[in-house]
Amino acid sequence: MILGKGDAAMKRSVWKRCSAPFFILFSVSFLLFLGCGANPTKGGGNKEPTIAIYAYYAEPVLDWDPSVEFSNGIIVMNNMYETLLRYDPENDKFEPVLATDYSKSPDSLSWTFKIRRGVKFHDGTDLNADAVKYSIDRTISLGKGAGYIWGAVKEIHVVDDYTVRFDLKYPAPLDLVASCGYAAFIVSPTAVKTHPAGWLSQGNDAGSGPYMLQSFKMGQEVVLTRFDGYWRGWEGKHYDKVVFQKIAETATRRQMIEKGDASFTLELPYEDVNALKSNSNVAIYVGPSLQNLMLYFNMAKKPLDNKLVRQALSFAFPYQDVVKYAGGNASLSRGAIPVGLWGHGDGLPQYSYDLEKAKSLLAQAGYPNGGIKLLVTYSSGDEAEKKSVELYKSELAKINVDLEIRAMPWASQWELAKGDSQGRQDIFEMYWWPDIASPYSWLFNLFHSEDTPNYNFSYMKDPAFDKLIDQGNESSGIDRRTATQEFITAQKMLIDQAAAIFAYDKKDVFITNRTFKGFKDNPVYPNVVFFYDTYKE
Amino acid sequence: MKSFIVKRLLLGILVLFGVIFITFFLTRVIPADPAAQWVGSRATVAQKQAARIELGLDKPLYVQFLKYVANLLQGNLGYSLRSHQPITRELQNYLPATLELVLLSTVFAVLVGIPLGVLSAYKKDHWLDHFSRFFSVGAVSLPTFWVGLFLQLIFYRMLGVLPLGDQQSMTVRLMYPLHHITGFVILDSLITGNFVVLNDALAHIVLPGITIALYPIGLVARMTRSALLEILNEDYICAARSYGLPPRMILWSYALKNSLGPTVTVVTLSIGYTLVNTFLVEAIFAWPGIGNYISSAVMALDYPAIIGVTIFSAIVYILLNLLADIVVALDPRVRI
Amino acid sequence: MSLASLSVNTLKPRLKEIKLSFYLLNRNKLTKLSLVIVVLLLLIAVFAPLIVPYPGHVRGETHPQDKLLAPSGTYFFGTDELGRDIFSRVLFGTRISVETAVVAVVIALLIGVPLGAIAGTMGGFLDELIMRITDVFLSFPPLLLAIAIAAFLGPSLQNAMLAIAISWWPWYTRLVRGQAVSIRERQFVKAARAIGTSPRKIIFNHVVPNCIAPVIVQASMDLGGVILTISSLSFLGLGAQAPIPEWGLMVSTSRQYFLDAWWYSIFPGLAIFITVLVFNLLGDGLREILDPKTRKL
Repeated sequence: MILGKGDAAMKRSVWKRCSAPFFILFSVSFLLFLGCGANPTKGGGNKEPTIAIYAYYAEPVLDWDPSVEFSNGIIVMNNMYETLLRYDPENDKFEPVLATDYSKSPDSLSWTFKIRRGVKFHDGTDLNADAVKYSIDRTISLGKGAGYIWGAVKEIHVVDDYTVRFDLKYPAPLDLVASCGYAAFIVSPTAVKTHPAGWLSQGNDAGSGPYMLQSFKMGQEVVLTRFDGYWRGWEGKHYDKVVFQKIAETATRRQMIEKGDASFTLELPYEDVNALKSNSNVAIYVGPSLQNLMLYFNMAKKPLDNKLVRQALSFAFPYQDVVKYAGGNASLSRGAIPVGLWGHGDGLPQYSYDLEKAKSLLAQAGYPNGGIKLLVTYSSGDEAEKKSVELYKSELAKINVDLEIRAMPWASQWELAKGDSQGRQDIFEMYWWPDIASPYSWLFNLFHSEDTPNYNFSYMKDPAFDKLIDQGNESSGIDRRTATQEFITAQKMLIDQAAAIFAYDKKDVFITNRTFKGFKDNPVYPNVVFFYDTYKE
Repeated sequence: MKSFIVKRLLLGILVLFGVIFITFFLTRVIPADPAAQWVGSRATVAQKQAARIELGLDKPLYVQFLKYVANLLQGNLGYSLRSHQPITRELQNYLPATLELVLLSTVFAVLVGIPLGVLSAYKKDHWLDHFSRFFSVGAVSLPTFWVGLFLQLIFYRMLGVLPLGDQQSMTVRLMYPLHHITGFVILDSLITGNFVVLNDALAHIVLPGITIALYPIGLVARMTRSALLEILNEDYICAARSYGLPPRMILWSYALKNSLGPTVTVVTLSIGYTLVNTFLVEAIFAWPGIGNYISSAVMALDYPAIIGVTIFSAIVYILLNLLADIVVALDPRVRI
Repeated sequence: MSLASLSVNTLKPRLKEIKLSFYLLNRNKLTKLSLVIVVLLLLIAVFAPLIVPYPGHVRGETHPQDKLLAPSGTYFFGTDELGRDIFSRVLFGTRISVETAVVAVVIALLIGVPLGAIAGTMGGFLDELIMRITDVFLSFPPLLLAIAIAAFLGPSLQNAMLAIAISWWPWYTRLVRGQAVSIRERQFVKAARAIGTSPRKIIFNHVVPNCIAPVIVQASMDLGGVILTISSLSFLGLGAQAPIPEWGLMVSTSRQYFLDAWWYSIFPGLAIFITVLVFNLLGDGLREILDPKTRKL
C-alpha cells in the first residue's frame, strides 16, 4: 500500500484541496449567471424590431455580385434587388415589377419595356432606362454565372428616360429571360461606377429592393434591414429585418422552427414533416417545385452504350418505392420537364417497375444472366438521393446486376464525370431546376451534345435532337404552342433512347413557424421567399 | 535553453516546409479544375483560359510552388475559390469562435480532470478509483457527435433550458450589438460590461463546451493518475512523509508539481487535436468556427482554403509541441 | 555456455514472468472484464454472418414499408429508414470495425516499428532524417490526409483505412525510437555489436523484441481510437459508403431521424462506445500489468 493507514488527515486534505477549484468554478459561474437581467448597455431602442429568420441548409450567398451569383445566393438577392418582371407559373402570367409594361415586335426580334417611375436605389439615385441598359450590358459583358440567358440580345437601346428596347439576334422569350431569378437584376450604375471593380463581390449593395444589406458573415449568415425609400412603401405589416442563417443539421432546423427560433426553413426529411403536421406551432406549405430527380446513363461507355441495356435498367427501377420512400411528397416524373411548367407532357410514356421485362431485355442485349457491374455517384449528404440508389441497388441485385454506390461532394462528382472517359461513372444522379422557366433549360443543358462535358451526363450526341430543341427555343419566343410541341417530341426521343431514368418531380415543402404569415411559394424562384409580402402575427 | 528553443524553431520551420510541400502537390495532383471553380460552370472556354492565367495555373508546377511560398512569407494565403475572399481574412473571421470554445473547454477539462486524477491516485483500487478510471476511459471513448446530439436532445428539446446551437441568439445579437475588441465574444462582453450578451454567450457555450471537454477530461485524469502514482512511489515522497511534513504540502509542493510535466504535454496536444477535430461538434451545434469552414471547403474542393487551413493547423501544432517541449525541458533532469 | 543450456536457463524465468502476468490480470477485475468483452467482440466479428437474424439486411436488401419501426421482438433494435434490422447491422458492423481497425493498426505497425527501431539503434543522420519525416506526418491533420486520399482514390472504407494507417504510423515510430535509444546502451546489445552481429540482426532480434511491450499496449488502445476515427470519417462521408453497415455511417444517417427514432442513433453509438471503451480499458490494464514500476503484488 502506498499510503499508511493513519492518513485520514491526508485524505481529508485531499478532499479540501480537490474541492477548492470546484468551488471557485461554481461561484464564478453563479455570479456570472446572476448578472443576467442586469443593465443591458446600448442597443435595444424603444420598439423591438420584427425579425424573420430563414434557416437555410447551406451558405446563403456565394458571390455578392448579382450579375454573377448563380447559386443559393438568389434567396438573398431577390430581396435586395429587383428584376423587370416576375413570372407566375400557376397562371402563366407576368407581373410587372420594375417594368410596368412591355411589348414585342411581331417577329419577336424587338422587345420594348416601359420602366416604372419613382423607384430609388438604396444609394438614393433614381432608377431609369439608363440603369436598366447598364445593368444588362454589364451582365452580358461579364459573361459569368447565368449571364448567358441574355445570349439572344444584340443591342439595348435607351429610347427615352423610361423606355428600353432590346434588339435580338434571333427570336427568344425575352419576358421569361427578364423575369429570371438569376442574372436579371437591375443595379445602380452610380454605385458600381464610383467604386473600383470587384466592389460588389466584396459584399456591397447596389439594389432597389425592399431590403438592404446590413451585415454578413461570409458563408454563415446575412442580415438585411428595411429600405425606407422602397417604391412600394411600408404600409401594413412587414418585417423590419430579415436574417439568413446557415444551419446544416436537419434536426437543428426542425427544432428551431418548433421553438420559434426560426421563422422559415426547408429541406427537412419527410418523416419530420409528417411528425410536424400535428404540431400546432408549425405551418407546412407543400406545392409544386420545378425540381426533378434524374439518373443519367453513361451512353458513351460499355455496357450502357447499348440501348437495350438502358431500357432494361429503366424497367428495373422501383419507381413507386422511390417516389414514396425517397421522394416523400414527390410525384412520379413524366419526361424530362417537371409538372407545373409549360412543356410538361402528361401523356408521355414512362417506364414502370417490371423485373421480368428487364430480364428479357437484358437477355436480348446479350446478358441472359446479368453479370453487369455499374457505378452510380450521387451528392453526399442528400438523403433522398441516397435512399433512391439503395432501393435501386437491392432491385438490381435481383437480376444479377451489381450496383456500386458512391457518395461524393458535388465538386468531386462533377470532376469525375468530366474526367477520363474510362474512369467515369456509369450512372449520375442529380436534380435539375431551371434558370429560365423554359424546357430549353433542361433539354439544352442536360442533353445537348457537348464537346467537353458540362452537365450532359448521358454524354448524348444526337444532332437531330439538338436541332429540334434549338428550334423549340426560337419558337418559344414567337408561339408557345409550337414550342411546346417541339419540346414534347424531343422528350419522346429521350424516353425512347432511355438516356436517363426520370425518377420524380420534387415537391416544394416549406416548414414555417405559425407566426410567419403571408408567404406564397413561386417555384420559378427556387427556395426564394419574397419577404416584403410576409409579416409576423 | 535559448539554443534549444532556436534549434527547435528551426526544425519546426523545416517540418512546416515539408507539410506545405506535400499539401501543395497533393492538391495539384487531385483531379479538379480550380479555374472552372473560380469562374463558375457556365463560363466560356475563353473565360476559363483567362482565369487560368489570372490564377497562375498556366505556369509550370515548381514556379507555382515558389510563388505560393513567396506569398506565404508575406502572410498571403491566397483567395478562396468559392467566395473570392482572402483566406487570411476568412480565417480571422472564423478562428475566434473556435479558439474561444476550445480554450474554455480545455480550462474546464483541466479543472475537472486534475482533481479527478488526484482522487483516483489516492484511492487506488478503491471503488472510487475504478469509477473514475471507468469515467475517464469512457470519456475518451465516447464518439463526440453522439454526445452532442444527445445533449441537445435532453437540454434543449426535453428540458428547454439551454439553446440549440450557434454562439449567440439572433435577437440578442441584433438588439445588443457587441463592441468587438479582441474578437472573443465572452471576453469582449466581459470587458465592455455587456451582461446580456455575456449571459447569452455563456448559455450557448455550455453544451458544445462540455461535448468537447470530455476527451481532454479523460486524458488529463488518466495522465494525472498515472504520473501521480509513479511519483508517490518515489523515495523522496516517503522521506518527506517520514519527516512529518503536512500531507497538503507533500501533495501540492512536491507530488503534483512534478506530475504536471506529462500532463502539460497531454493538454497541449489535446488542444491541437481538438482544434482540428471541432468540425463534428461545430456541425451539430452550428458553431461559426473554422471546423465548419473546413467542412465546407472540403465539400466544395476549395483547394486554396484547404491548403490554408492545413498550413495554419500545422503551424499551431508545431508551436504547441514546442511549448510542451519547453515546459518539459524546464525539468533540469531532462538533458537538452 | 552452449546455446541449449542458455535457452533452458532463460525459459524458466520467462515462464515465471508469464505466470505472474496472468496472476495480475486475474486480480484486476476491470481488465479481466474488458478482456472477456474483447474476446466476445472478436467472436461476434468472426461469426457475424452466421448469427445475424436477418442476413439479407446486412447486404443491401431493402424493405421500405417496414421503415423506422421501434424496437420489438422481431427487430431487437428497431429498423432503419429503409426497413433494415438495426440489430443485424450493428452485429455485422462489429466485424467491419474490428477488421478495419486491425488492418489499419497492423499496417501502421509494419511501417512505424521498423522505422523507429532503425532510427533509435543507428542514430546519427539516419535518426534525424527519419524523425523529421515523422514530424512532418505528425503535423499533418489526419482528417486532411483522409480527404486527400478520398478525393484521389474515391471515398471508400478501404481508402479510409489506408489514410488512417498513413497518419498513425508516426506515433509508433516515436514510441519505438524512444525505447530503442535506451536499449542500445544496454549490455547485451553492446555485446552483440562487439561480436560483429549485423545491424539488421541487432535491430530485429534484439532491439525490437524488447521495445514491443509498450507498443502492444499502445496498439490495443489505438484499436479503439481507429474505430472512432473511422466512424468520424464515415460520418463525413469519407469512409464506408451506403449500404455498408458501418457504425459511424449509421450514426451519421440517424442524425436526420433521431428526433423521432431514438433507437437508430443509440444502438450504433453505444456499439462504438462499448467497443472503444473495452479496448482502452484493456490497453490500460495491460500497461499496468506489463510496466515493471507498477507491477507490484
